[in-house]
Amino acid sequence: MLSLIQWLNEVPISVWLREMPYPFPIIETIHILALGASFGTILWVDLRLMNLVMRDRKVSDVIEQLEPYAVLGFAAMFVSGALLFLSEPVKAYSTMAFRIKAVMLILAGINIWFFHRGIYSTISQWDRSKRLPWQARFTGISSLLLWLGIIVAGRWTAYV
Amino acid sequence: MNLVRFFPLALFQWLQHTAIGEYVDHSMWVFAVTETVHIVCLSILLGATLILDLRLLGKGMTRESIVTLSNTVRPWIWSAFIGLAITGVVMFNSEAVKMGRNRGFFLKVIFLVLAVLFQLTIHRRVTSSNDAEGTGWAKLAASLSLSCWLGVALAGRAIAFL
Repeated sequence: MLSLIQWLNEVPISVWLREMPYPFPIIETIHILALGASFGTILWVDLRLMNLVMRDRKVSDVIEQLEPYAVLGFAAMFVSGALLFLSEPVKAYSTMAFRIKAVMLILAGINIWFFHRGIYSTISQWDRSKRLPWQARFTGISSLLLWLGIIVAGRWTAYV
Repeated sequence: MNLVRFFPLALFQWLQHTAIGEYVDHSMWVFAVTETVHIVCLSILLGATLILDLRLLGKGMTRESIVTLSNTVRPWIWSAFIGLAITGVVMFNSEAVKMGRNRGFFLKVIFLVLAVLFQLTIHRRVTSSNDAEGTGWAKLAASLSLSCWLGVALAGRAIAFL
């Protein structure tokens, strides 16, 4: 793994991203704006699953209307994040905060996958229910905590 | 252009030497934590604004009425704003003199004033009834609102470079 990272470190685009003054701050800005679009919309899905907002609206309505923007924001965040990583692969790889962030990202992905394969397939039974199934509430809480963790670890990566 | 041209430099020096300013300046951890909270609040504000403005543009959340959606997201927008303002002031105090001389920060304050004034007046009016549905005014208000907040964020990022 380390040799792959070291090789990545010397790829021309990696060197270019690292040595030019402008690419990094521009990509970083896109990364943070995309974070706003993605976390800012996922948050509403999470809060709905926790039954904290839009309680009189169908869960599926909230998810279907926000998901495209969450996905779009995530895609932009992922691409810009990959470029930020590419600008200093060895440094990021050897940073504990970055490793924790990567693990939490994978967990957040698994979380959504489980939700869609699992309890979301029976949504017609609880879409309007006052009391949401524990799996749905769990998905909301864990997604929110993971995203907050990802943001904290991301900021921490930039400091160390 | 910068703030020092409009306010006495002594004000910025005093702010920097207040207890908060000194404390944050001498602890990297406090600054890092404050900045993290600032970013979390920024995403909440940006996301909530995006949801409402996409609705006004007719590009998202179209199953909700403008008024209901506006009443739902508005408390979140202002809570996030308060969080942003508090953490922003804390960070500003730690380097008040530098910020007073910074062109990026000046630009950020301008956009911030514009964004807040716009939210409290025209944007509030447009979202206070469902009559604006699909009109050019609704679209204009949404575009201006998004542009103002985007301006705040971009100018904020530019502080490090101007």
